[in-house]
Amino acid sequence: MPARPSRRPLRGRRPTLGPYLLIAPAVLGMLYLLLYPFGRALLISLQDFRLRELIRGDAEFVGLRNYQTLLSDPRFWDVVRRTFLFMAVNVAAIMILATLVALMIERLGRAGRAVVLSSLVLVWAVPVVAATTVFQWLFHSEFGIVNETLTDLGLDSFEGYTWLADGRAAFAILVALIVWQSVPFAAITLYSALTTVPEELYESARLDGAGAWTLFRSVTFPLVRPLFMLVLSLEVIWTFKAFVQIWVMTRGGPGDATTILPVYAVQTALANQRYDLGSAASMVTVLLMSGVLVLYFRQLFRQEGDQL
Amino acid sequence: MTPTRTTRTARKARTTAPRRALRRLPLRAAATLTVVICLFPVYWMLATAFRPSRDIQSYDPRLIPQEWTLDHFRTAVQADGFALFWRNSVLVTLGAVLLALIVALGAAYAVARLRWRGRRQFMLAVFIAQMAPWESLIIPVYIISRDTNMLDRLPTLTLVYFMITLPFTVVVLRGFIAGIPPELEEAAQVDGCTRVGAFRRIAFPLLAPGLMATSLFGFITAWNEFTYANFLIIKQQDSRTLPVWLSSFQTTFGTDWGATMAASTLFALPALVVFLALQRHVTSGLTAGGVKG
Amino acid sequence: MKHRPLVLLGAMLLSTGLVSCSSSDGGSDAGGPTVLDVWLMRDSVSEAFQKEFEAGFEKAHPEIDVKIQIQEWEGIGEKVTAALASNDAPDVIEVGNTQVAQYAQSGGLTDFTDRVDELDGDFWLDGLAEPGAWEGKQYGIPYYAANRVVIYRTDLFRQAGIDAATIKTRDQWLAATERLNKDGVQGIYLPGQNWFALAGFVWDEGGDLALQEGGRWKGGLDSPEAMRAMDFYKRLQALGKGPKDSDESRPLQADVVAKGQIAQVIATPGGAGVIAQKNPALKGKLGFFPIPGKTADTPGAVFTGGSDLIVPAVARHQDEAYTFIKELTGETWQTKLALAMSYVPNKTNLATAVASDPGAATMAVGAANGHATPNTPQWAAVEAKNPIKDYMTAVLTGRDPAAEAAKAAASITTTLNSGS
Repeated sequence: MPARPSRRPLRGRRPTLGPYLLIAPAVLGMLYLLLYPFGRALLISLQDFRLRELIRGDAEFVGLRNYQTLLSDPRFWDVVRRTFLFMAVNVAAIMILATLVALMIERLGRAGRAVVLSSLVLVWAVPVVAATTVFQWLFHSEFGIVNETLTDLGLDSFEGYTWLADGRAAFAILVALIVWQSVPFAAITLYSALTTVPEELYESARLDGAGAWTLFRSVTFPLVRPLFMLVLSLEVIWTFKAFVQIWVMTRGGPGDATTILPVYAVQTALANQRYDLGSAASMVTVLLMSGVLVLYFRQLFRQEGDQL
Repeated sequence: MTPTRTTRTARKARTTAPRRALRRLPLRAAATLTVVICLFPVYWMLATAFRPSRDIQSYDPRLIPQEWTLDHFRTAVQADGFALFWRNSVLVTLGAVLLALIVALGAAYAVARLRWRGRRQFMLAVFIAQMAPWESLIIPVYIISRDTNMLDRLPTLTLVYFMITLPFTVVVLRGFIAGIPPELEEAAQVDGCTRVGAFRRIAFPLLAPGLMATSLFGFITAWNEFTYANFLIIKQQDSRTLPVWLSSFQTTFGTDWGATMAASTLFALPALVVFLALQRHVTSGLTAGGVKG
Repeated sequence: MKHRPLVLLGAMLLSTGLVSCSSSDGGSDAGGPTVLDVWLMRDSVSEAFQKEFEAGFEKAHPEIDVKIQIQEWEGIGEKVTAALASNDAPDVIEVGNTQVAQYAQSGGLTDFTDRVDELDGDFWLDGLAEPGAWEGKQYGIPYYAANRVVIYRTDLFRQAGIDAATIKTRDQWLAATERLNKDGVQGIYLPGQNWFALAGFVWDEGGDLALQEGGRWKGGLDSPEAMRAMDFYKRLQALGKGPKDSDESRPLQADVVAKGQIAQVIATPGGAGVIAQKNPALKGKLGFFPIPGKTADTPGAVFTGGSDLIVPAVARHQDEAYTFIKELTGETWQTKLALAMSYVPNKTNLATAVASDPGAATMAVGAANGHATPNTPQWAAVEAKNPIKDYMTAVLTGRDPAAEAAKAAASITTTLNSGS
């Protein structure tokens, strides 16, 4: 099936036209379904656009006023700082754990591998809302099994301890939740990448007397590196955009302790009905995210350049 | 960090066969730990689904329910429109995933294997598309759908989910295709295969895990999506999807969590089924590729 | 090759899906009675009442075919917004009274100012009519109200030798609760984030959640009155094992009360039915009394919750929508609805209609001292984030009340003023 779209354009080996036909559906899709709405969102961020304007459709153009409002709000900058911290902590934890899990899966026997892979997929398949609710319960002050267990272990100060009322604890629980949900994808992808490393390479390296770490650093990692970088950058994007978990669990609270940029944008847009400010916040988010990933792009292109 | 040590020991274990069994012990321990951490919250969801309502949150939470009940599953299955919303979700999700897979495979192949001008720009665009702030695009998407009379229609959702999953699918597939040495295909072409034939016989089997991972991702993303489904399907109650339906267990007196968890369990099943269906292809793909013994 | 069946299956699903779905629109207005689309909220009417009403209404108005769709609370704000802005909105929508103000000022609703007299608007409950009005025009039509009372276990009260009828002030209430709170019985189950209950105490002390001063809103939780209210809440909350960090829905309050030895709980009277349904052994053992006030001569202040009905300006059947509203908010159906659901009817002159129902009658006592949340469209934004809940948890877990109150008040001030 996947070969079908490429059959016709390539039959005569005319690479001049073929590639363009192959990417045409993707390009058209992105233009109409993504770039066009994005353009409208950009427009909204330059207008006075609230519920009234959404209904009536006669928004007034206000230039950069929304951006001024946004950037002069000290709370916004707190949120930006928190977003970066949240992203860094999550991504580091996800990548380290996922690599370890992927290496582990590779070394397991057939049955063990199936069990681990299945449980990873199961995690991934649990609806986000259900998973978030379960985490909320585990850490519930009066009814949660975490406090129950800690109290049983003799740590009486945890009797009725209110995890989600403490900013840092709430932040940590959200990190745990997001890492728990993200590791399966990263681990499975990295494992898939590991399986494409030809066994012969390991054997020859071993003959050269390479140890485990050297083997990983000089054989495995360079080969899975493109995919590793890819997963890394995807995780950067996803944690930067984490929303549902936070919204369901804490709504950004207590106080602002778990408010990161997307939560802030939705608070302003959907709850406050300041669609204009919400759009502006999202534009800034995209800009900041590109800043983080610019390094990745540069590296991506250097590789591409080698191949070209 | 026990896993670190484990993997290293395991590495040695492969080289020194006699001590193998003993050496594999830490590896097994690490695997068990992974499975337990993965499954505990899932178990808790299941246990909740089978617990009588009054035991769901108690001052004395128990690991294993004292009493078991199927009431919540009954509530979930008998709720209005269960089958209908199920069908809607399956159609929308599968439609979006297949569309994305087909479109992405073409694009990924073009990027990874062919040389053409504008390739970098295209890849950059796809990558940037990943960052699309979908939470904020909902208003423009709504306005556009309204003005083109596409509100209240499932195909609108299919298209949105297609677009949400497409960039990711292209990027990951490109990674997988690029990871397969082109020499393999070239060798096959020398043996008389066409370019397409070479791709299909040599690269495609190796690509199976990638296809699995990407389609699963798309499936789960689309399957879980709530905001767009809630915002774009307005008057046609019959066109609602499962995530929107899931919220129907929330009442003015709070949420019927037992039913929610039972529904979530039923809701997670398709993803698992898709995985199990694809796993056979992964295994066969791996052995066919001769990559792994 | 072996992938082909899978692909074919997928392609088939895809095509049938697209075809069958895109052809499922239209066809509702072909001759016959006009189909009137109505959105009511989950649990705002019982199934039995809905059937009775539909039958009665369609008999009186055979030209209208009422199609009631029950909406869920989750995500309802976005959904109503989407409906108002669409080209084909439902004809009548039920909206919570703390939410209606934002829609009233949006310009997307039908103006009913001319018809207020016809609908007996003079008798409307203020807590429902005010938020439905904007700049002197009436957009939201009061539908029903409900407020909180104390639901108590008659058996546990008897055991402790307490007569609920003698509890008239909050001090007496505290003393009685303290006596109940022993031997494995919780005096009261009060989750830490029941901010409606706190709001009642705040009003009772003479404070407010927020006040308007010279066109600007100012959060009021840091006033001495509000601080006294929070202190009372804290003392009351300690007489039971309500979780300090969650509200009535997590976990479901009714579940907890149904299971445990809990003497009292604050809820709308309808909550008693839910408790008895979850634990039939408690049937007949649940009584009601109004939330006590600061002094014996006035009942405690309560938050008037409830709903308004609105008609989107783009709705296609404006006249039929008005007919529907007139019937549902008129005397006949209001009386039946109040009795069926333990509600306060939308008009003060109908209050006597519910005297026979103990829950509703108790509620009516409290309703006399009913209050609404600050009347500004921005209030919905405060509820969405809800700094009040954070504040309550912080104080209950031992943080400095003055500092936390100042923080919460400042947050409310910012949110309320950010709209204009």
